[in-house]
Amino acid sequence: MNFLRPILFSGVLATAASLLGVPSPLQAQEPVEITLKTLTAQMKFELNELVISPGAKVKLNFENPDDMPHNVVFCQPGTDVVQLVTKMLEKPEEAMKNNFLPEDPKVWLKSRLLNPHEKQVIEFTAPTKPGNYPYVCSFPGHAATMQGVLRVLGEGPKLQDLKFALYHGDWKNLPDFSTLTPHRTGEVPGNLVQLNFDDYKNQYGLVFTGKLNVPANAEYTFYCASDDGCRITVGEERVLNNDGIHPASIKESKKKLKKGEYPVKIEYFQAAGGAELYVGWKSDAFDTTALSSWTPPNWKKGVEQKTNEFVGMPLEPKDGPLIYRNFIAGTGNRSIGVGFPGGLNFAWSAETMNLSMAWKGAFIDAARHWKNRGGGHQPPAGFDVVRPSDMAPPFAVLDAPGAVWPSFVADQPLEGYAWKGYQLDAKGVPSFNYVWNGVEVEDRLEAKGDFKSGGTLVRTLTLKGKIPEKAFLLLSQKSKLTPADKGFAVQGEKLNLTGTNYPNQLLIRAEGATISGDALLVPARKQIQITYAWPESHPASHTPLAQ
Amino acid sequence: MKAQRLLLSVLLGTLPSTSALLSVARAETPDPAEAEYYKITTFPTPPGTALEVSSVEFLPDGRVAMGTRRGEVWIASNAQNATNAGVWNPKEMKYEADPAAPAKNSVIYQRFAEGQHEILGLATKDGWLYATNRYEVLRMKDETGAGKATRFETVCDKWGVSGDYHEYSFGSRFDKNGDLWVLACLTGSFSSKTPFRGWALRVKPDGTMVPTCSGVRSPGGVGFDADGEVYYTDNQGPWHGACTLQHLIPGSFQGHPGGNQWYDLAPNMGPRPVEPNDASRMVLERERVKELVPPAVYMVYGPGKIGNSSTAVVCDLSAGKFGPFAKQIFIPDQSHSNISRVYLETVNGVKQGVVFPFLKGLRSGPIGARMGSDGKFFVGGSDRGWGAKGGQPFAFERVDWTGKVPFEVHEMHAKPDGFELTFTEPVDPVTAGNPASYSAREFTYIYQAKYGSPEVDDVWPKIEKIDVAKDGKSVRLKFDVLTKGHIHELHLDGVRSAKGSPVLHPVAYYTLNEIPAK
Repeated sequence: MNFLRPILFSGVLATAASLLGVPSPLQAQEPVEITLKTLTAQMKFELNELVISPGAKVKLNFENPDDMPHNVVFCQPGTDVVQLVTKMLEKPEEAMKNNFLPEDPKVWLKSRLLNPHEKQVIEFTAPTKPGNYPYVCSFPGHAATMQGVLRVLGEGPKLQDLKFALYHGDWKNLPDFSTLTPHRTGEVPGNLVQLNFDDYKNQYGLVFTGKLNVPANAEYTFYCASDDGCRITVGEERVLNNDGIHPASIKESKKKLKKGEYPVKIEYFQAAGGAELYVGWKSDAFDTTALSSWTPPNWKKGVEQKTNEFVGMPLEPKDGPLIYRNFIAGTGNRSIGVGFPGGLNFAWSAETMNLSMAWKGAFIDAARHWKNRGGGHQPPAGFDVVRPSDMAPPFAVLDAPGAVWPSFVADQPLEGYAWKGYQLDAKGVPSFNYVWNGVEVEDRLEAKGDFKSGGTLVRTLTLKGKIPEKAFLLLSQKSKLTPADKGFAVQGEKLNLTGTNYPNQLLIRAEGATISGDALLVPARKQIQITYAWPESHPASHTPLAQ
Repeated sequence: MKAQRLLLSVLLGTLPSTSALLSVARAETPDPAEAEYYKITTFPTPPGTALEVSSVEFLPDGRVAMGTRRGEVWIASNAQNATNAGVWNPKEMKYEADPAAPAKNSVIYQRFAEGQHEILGLATKDGWLYATNRYEVLRMKDETGAGKATRFETVCDKWGVSGDYHEYSFGSRFDKNGDLWVLACLTGSFSSKTPFRGWALRVKPDGTMVPTCSGVRSPGGVGFDADGEVYYTDNQGPWHGACTLQHLIPGSFQGHPGGNQWYDLAPNMGPRPVEPNDASRMVLERERVKELVPPAVYMVYGPGKIGNSSTAVVCDLSAGKFGPFAKQIFIPDQSHSNISRVYLETVNGVKQGVVFPFLKGLRSGPIGARMGSDGKFFVGGSDRGWGAKGGQPFAFERVDWTGKVPFEVHEMHAKPDGFELTFTEPVDPVTAGNPASYSAREFTYIYQAKYGSPEVDDVWPKIEKIDVAKDGKSVRLKFDVLTKGHIHELHLDGVRSAKGSPVLHPVAYYTLNEIPAK
């Protein structure tokens, strides 16, 4: 019954298998090849988790398709990589001389600083000690988002005190072995489940009993592949049931187990034809570990490299602005994302009727919403994300000095406002329309220039109707404000989107803008023009570096 | 679209490279017996996008507008006449046309709008294209003549959206009063986290919103019958033993109490209805909950039956150009990639009727559909997130009547003691008059908070008497027992036409909400 096997295992991801170092005698000289790429205009590595075996020979293809310089620095377990880079930059002259590669005992492997569109091949031997080894791009300003973990995973515990009982019988399904008398019993050499006890080819059954040491309270994945039926019981629980007559194909099941020693029972029967039995397990803390002498050919012996299923469909504005109405993280549920070809992007909220967020670099990845059912909020694909007014409505009448700006409550109607839609001009730039207490407002934002060369967002609000006395437009709130460069340097509240912290810093220029407490306001008038610019966080990033 | 469908599809969605391979194995092809009467043409699709059609509407000039799950609007010209079918290219993820095929036989596509938050409803009025997205009805217009919408005006945005992926909003075309209907799916298809999730809403021409029916669970489409009455399809789940076609009577409760807290915000609806008892029967709860309207038709669940995921409500107003089923309702099924046929009647003031299998072998999971007065039936869809028998991730198709009349049950009418069947062709009086040609069963579903229901309370009626009309066009069946509230399943395996043909689809499922007095 094994004629199907070549097909059954051809589906196993060959790339995953090749990424995993398997220091078996046959493969010892073959380095494991891993490709680590930077993502264009996203300030991220493509993979934020790499998995290898202890002591594996690795060939790392480090590729930088981005338009900025990047490196990759591998550190010892427990290293705070952001702190590492901060420490390096305390001596900026020295850091620059070293091409921003830290000289630090915590670093055990580093690439060159790659210029845009460069590649480097690095060959190294993986640490022999299992653990999580963080990696980071140590170029100034990149560490917060450009990091990952190299996981060195060893093997897990194997079975102990393994015994077998061999039975004879002609079955189509596993029998109740407890009612049968075994033909013979004995200890299993090497404590690995195997079938070659006697010369029987057909019509026999085996029951293995032994102990398994579960090293920690965690979730464990058990695997089996059997030709024909098998069943695995750990403690009192049946973890896998692959009964019946069939060729061997991998079955898996996840179980949460408490730390401790468990009795294990593996029942198996062979009707006729091919006979195989594979049993294995893995956890987050150890690689897939075979508990049998046979392992299916091509079966991945380790953990797959984690690729993020929410990436892979980047929307790239090419001929003009691109609009993306969907759930964008940090901007509520009625968000309109707009990306410009120059890599300047913003989200406008049809809940708060206000600019909610802006960012540089790549626009957005639609994979989260366009693959599968499309759940969840997707953060911007780019970087230097800012949210100056923190999801507040744009206009308010402030009668008294120090009056509190009205807040927005999700899914509550925004009092005094009505959302009216938008129109596109000849260039495809949207203007958003709403009515605020009888005043018709048009809010238009357009990117000027390129994110790589100091590009800005220029916003024009046009108001029609009777503007109330003491009406103001909110430019930022909950912010530290410093007059700078004909405008204001704005340091907004800490902004965290799905685990990434952004500095939330920008420059805002608007005629008549004034500081009011922690808010930046401008008196409402018929036309208000605002320029949003980003401080240069990467002073050396746009000039090619000396090698 | 509905929760908890095929787990397989989740896998397929994440591994596009293998999905194509597996799809081939899963794909169901058109049935040659059906193709003799109704032909499916699967069109090439435009490059660079996934044409996941989720709504279809005709522009005044006859062009076909399609809203998609990716938030685009595509306009197809020549779709009525095009004969060039597309062949699925899994590498390019599109249907490819034969490059040698003459353009006059091809659909020509134009992208009219993009970037919208998923369009599950399209309508036209006064030069505007109305669209329903997640949280608003908007209308769009091309003001420059360049073929792309430039103005997007909000018509109504008064219902809630919590960020949950399942909060689909299906929009209708304009009803006979000039209103649009919005069917707002429950949060996660189970509860209602934000106002009017789980409701049918009407949007008046001035943009005001009127909460109109409660009790909606997970709609799949909304449309009208030949009289302009409004119906929607709901999906199997809590309080829904199976998918259903439901009559939207203003003020009614449609069966799922998950969104009933919003009666506080809908004074026009009167007081909140009493809660239905769990693990009961629809026929019993109708007695207790006076606002409860029973499903007009249960789209009987399960393989080989009607469907698993009912979507659009398409009435045949072609007066015979789509064959012999004028004024009947056609309902596609997203997971079965098929279309079923419904005949409705009114008994004791309640809508009820029968569903028959009609056509299988659509290429993807149909969602949006529309039939023209010329009998051209356009249907498009997507299997994303749930999976569909069709096996391909999206499709835009046309169904045409070939001009041949299939031998089918035409209508099924409830009678005080049984049913009257009419046929599309005269029957053979011998087989049609023989009780052994038929078998019947009556069953219902548990009306419960748990997901779905098995078929329960089986009754096995005897067919006591059969009268075949002299012209052979109708047959009267007398049952020894009819059960109010039960689905009456009738098989006609032995019935032949006067010409000797078997019934093309020899099964009918009649939802007997009311037994007529005469």
